[in-house]
Amino acid sequence: MELTYAPIQGKSRGYRTMLAILIALVVVLITSFLVAYLMGQQVWGINNEVIWGQLITLDIYFIGLSAGAIIISSLSYVFKREEYKPIGRIAVFMGLLLMIGAMVCVLVDLGRPEKFWRLFMYFYLNNMTSLFAINGILYLGYILLMLLYLWLILENRIRLAAIIGTIDVIWAIMVHTGTGAIFGLIANREILFTPIKPFEFLTAALTSGTSLLILVSIVTFKFTKRAFNKGLVISLGKLLSYIVILLLVLVFFDKLTHMYFPSREGTVFLFSGPYWWLFWVFQIGMGIIIPLVILFHPRLGKTVKGVVIAAASVVIGVLGERAALVIPGTAYPQPLYPGQIEGIWGAAGVFPMTPWETLLSLGIISLVALLFVLGLKYLELLPAAPSAEAVAVPQPEPSPPVTDASTKETGEKLD
Amino acid sequence: MARWGMVIDMDKCVGCQACTIACWEENNIPHGSPEDHKRWREIFWNKVITVSEGRYPTVSIEFISMPCMHCDQPPCVTVCPAKATYRREDGIVMQDFRRCIGCRYCIVACPYWARNFNYKTQAEEEYDRPDPPPDRVSRGPWPFPHRIRGVVEKCTFCFHRIDQGIREGKKIGVDVVPACVEACPTKARAFGDLDDPDSKVSRLLASRTSIRLREDMGTHPKTFYLPR
Repeated sequence: MELTYAPIQGKSRGYRTMLAILIALVVVLITSFLVAYLMGQQVWGINNEVIWGQLITLDIYFIGLSAGAIIISSLSYVFKREEYKPIGRIAVFMGLLLMIGAMVCVLVDLGRPEKFWRLFMYFYLNNMTSLFAINGILYLGYILLMLLYLWLILENRIRLAAIIGTIDVIWAIMVHTGTGAIFGLIANREILFTPIKPFEFLTAALTSGTSLLILVSIVTFKFTKRAFNKGLVISLGKLLSYIVILLLVLVFFDKLTHMYFPSREGTVFLFSGPYWWLFWVFQIGMGIIIPLVILFHPRLGKTVKGVVIAAASVVIGVLGERAALVIPGTAYPQPLYPGQIEGIWGAAGVFPMTPWETLLSLGIISLVALLFVLGLKYLELLPAAPSAEAVAVPQPEPSPPVTDASTKETGEKLD
Repeated sequence: MARWGMVIDMDKCVGCQACTIACWEENNIPHGSPEDHKRWREIFWNKVITVSEGRYPTVSIEFISMPCMHCDQPPCVTVCPAKATYRREDGIVMQDFRRCIGCRYCIVACPYWARNFNYKTQAEEEYDRPDPPPDRVSRGPWPFPHRIRGVVEKCTFCFHRIDQGIREGKKIGVDVVPACVEACPTKARAFGDLDDPDSKVSRLLASRTSIRLREDMGTHPKTFYLPR
């Protein structure tokens, strides 16, 4: 069966309301960026100890979601698994948008955002031993590759898309391991420093990317009155459960390495310091334990509802995992000299949630959502609803109508 | 080429913070409010940390004055994406405000918290001091009369004094020293060329056991401490 895709018409009240809310939040994004730009970073919660805040957390989270979505998209375009076809296009589009969102995060997080071009002066004005500069190459190439990939898919040039998709998946793995290396190679911060951090990042990316894809596709399909295949969700849930186990193993060995030897103060700080909840509640509880319990539950794991709850838990949990890396990772005071360091240099850092920084984060999330919602209208991302069903369910109220004009069931298989 | 280094005698240091104040004055570092200090946003190019061991009455207190360590293997230079921080040939690790994009990766990578981020544009009146330092004229233009915010700042070993002194043929480490060394009331600090066996720092290092902070990081700092 060949799938055809169609944009949504986007004329319903619900769609317009959502568009209006998202545009308002993007205006908030611009306002809060200007406030931070004009008043300085004093309006954020960062300080000289916890120097990276919400935006870097959101940035690595988005990069992870993007890499995860692209890798999942390869199931349909590289590995030619027919059952993943309906969500293939959304996955690639999501990957692109989330990466753009991540780049917006980095841009607004810079102290001097107008000098961001220095990051892209490869080998000339920038220092290629810096992982930021190396990741600059990876990120730029990744966005270009995803644009090409999306274009090929939209043009239905599947064979070429498979080749570009393969490169893109490898590139996505590099992007995300590179992002993990930004943190994992910093030897003076015990919580960050571990050689398996890149792989942990990649696995967390896969879990969160898969989960967000499940959530987004279910919400979009529901909202646009498209039928989705229950088996597809269950199989994604199964895939998710395996990756979560891998993540658990990696996190276990990461923390064990630091806990085993007596120089374990940093990890003890992470486990029992003021930010213990980021690690135990979000990273371990919501990111690993809850999804595992649900997905391996004999009854719940086989239902769409169960998979959706697990996916939502992972999406929130992995955001917490990113925060548990960035904030306690730098909040733990560095042992400058043996003994009790008095005053602020020996105290654990605090990171207050400030309104402007939070609004900025919300604004960036809304920007990504806005682009996604617009993409649904102007690009052929969603599978066209089967005509039989569209006829069977007439819509009296102005909900997003199903475009059934281009729908056809050819009944022939690819390959 | 000289290799500038500093030796701080922890036996002589009384923790008076004169070095911190002198550094603020010399380099025109923006003043922070008490609120800024509490939230750890005040800019310190040189800071004095207090380390206690034990409990009263059996307690020992160490004052450790920490400028930038000017590492021979500086992690901040490795991680800076914009070549904004670099190691000069004479070993001074510099920060170029014009190149810095404010990504703050160096602050994460520095094992000594020698780096500070500039959070806000300073009010103009905080700069306009009615009394310029007495020998300002002899030192030429002030190196940092105007600051931009959103960049990372750090100690420079008063490179402007050193460069001026070399141009004028003065003896560095004797006639010309960084502001913190000049201001120290107990003469706990010494500055000079680590490669010159006759310099004061070399003689001090040969005379007593010296330590460097966090040597396990492998950064090879050029700020040495003589423990009590």
